[in-house]
Amino acid sequence: MQRIFWLAWRDLILEFRGRTGILSAVFFLAVMLFILAMAFGPNPQDLQKAAPGVLWVALAFAGSLLAGRAFGLEVEDGTLDDLLLTPGSREWIYFGKLLFQFALLLVVGLALLFLTAGLFYLPVQNAGWYLLVLLLGSLGYAAISTFYAGMLARLRGREVLLPLLLFPLVIPVVLAAVRFTQGLAEGVPVAELSDWLRLLLVFDIIYVTVCAMVFPYMLEG
Amino acid sequence: MQLASSNQTSRLDGLTLGILSLGVVGAGVGFFMAMTAPPDQSQGFVARIFHLHVPMAWMAYLASFAALGYSVAYLVRRKPHHDRVAAATVEVGLIFMALALLTGMLWARPTWGVYWDWEPRLTTTAILFAIYVGYVVVRGAIEDPELRAKAAAGVAILGSINVPISYMSVRWWRSLHQTQSIDLTTGKINVDAAILIPMLVNLAAFTLLFIGLVRLRSIIAAREAAREEV
Repeated sequence: MQRIFWLAWRDLILEFRGRTGILSAVFFLAVMLFILAMAFGPNPQDLQKAAPGVLWVALAFAGSLLAGRAFGLEVEDGTLDDLLLTPGSREWIYFGKLLFQFALLLVVGLALLFLTAGLFYLPVQNAGWYLLVLLLGSLGYAAISTFYAGMLARLRGREVLLPLLLFPLVIPVVLAAVRFTQGLAEGVPVAELSDWLRLLLVFDIIYVTVCAMVFPYMLEG
Repeated sequence: MQLASSNQTSRLDGLTLGILSLGVVGAGVGFFMAMTAPPDQSQGFVARIFHLHVPMAWMAYLASFAALGYSVAYLVRRKPHHDRVAAATVEVGLIFMALALLTGMLWARPTWGVYWDWEPRLTTTAILFAIYVGYVVVRGAIEDPELRAKAAAGVAILGSINVPISYMSVRWWRSLHQTQSIDLTTGKINVDAAILIPMLVNLAAFTLLFIGLVRLRSIIAAREAAREEV
């Protein structure tokens, strides 16, 4: 159990000391939001309408950029074999990397939320619900991106393959999260939107469980 | 030893040929029956495409279940045969899925007035199509056979689980489609017998074709693997 936290903690420290990955992701997002804001026009109503979609699509792109980080350093430094050699079951590697990806996505997601609130006039009065949907959405996304990143870690063309595999699978996450966020922005009572949260929760539970079960098979060799 | 066993599975056996020819004959008979069936009350002759569209969509989802089963079987048993069959089901399923999407679009244009609509079954099929394209690409990108089999199994398992979830999510998002011809949840049949029987014949014929094609494809894959080993 402790190993999971240590692995995630080590990766987070490396990530923040290295800075290149997370900084470039955040700046990429800022530029992307800027361009999208220009595309949707200066009219505040149009921007507000587009905001939930922009928020989640941007987060999905950022997630596919960051997904390679989960195993990129391990492969570069040749430490993946050391990880695999540690005794015991291998699910903990998945959970550790998942925690790392999840934390990274949350940080980026928060930055993104502030940016969309500013640039797209997304109303964020009930911030608690926004945080909840950000948590559930990022977890679902991270569950799949971590799995595929580990699976493709040693493959040469993984930068192209990863989004190709990732995006079709996370459509339910993006769809549910966008709808929920849109409802919040339009002031729909949360009770009417709770189906979307439930869908996200079910998705998270199913995929975290299945990925953790299948992941150990993917790493050998 | 390894060679001998792979030779056994790579033989083109009578059963495969029998299933394939029965499927081809059945598809011909089904086509004739579909063309002589009475026209639909509201849609007229246009509705006859349904005799092709429904079996094709059915095949696509049968392929998704079969791919899930064989992929799990591969991860548990580690027999290359299971991996080859899983790959074959996905490849054949991909073709049927493309045909189902295409016939669906051709049908949608005269009845709904548009080629594409964001309807749950349509959208889910399109998503599944994208997932299986990813499956084929991943298989092409990995050279080591064991690693390739494992990665492909992972993609297939995750992808097949996604079907009910994306179906539900799109269904809540938006809806408009013909009512299902056979409601699987209640067992109620919404089609007249004159149309139902040709459709069932087509369904059986396409199922035979599917099994035959999958067997044929895995035999070819087994031969390829045997050649690489030599």
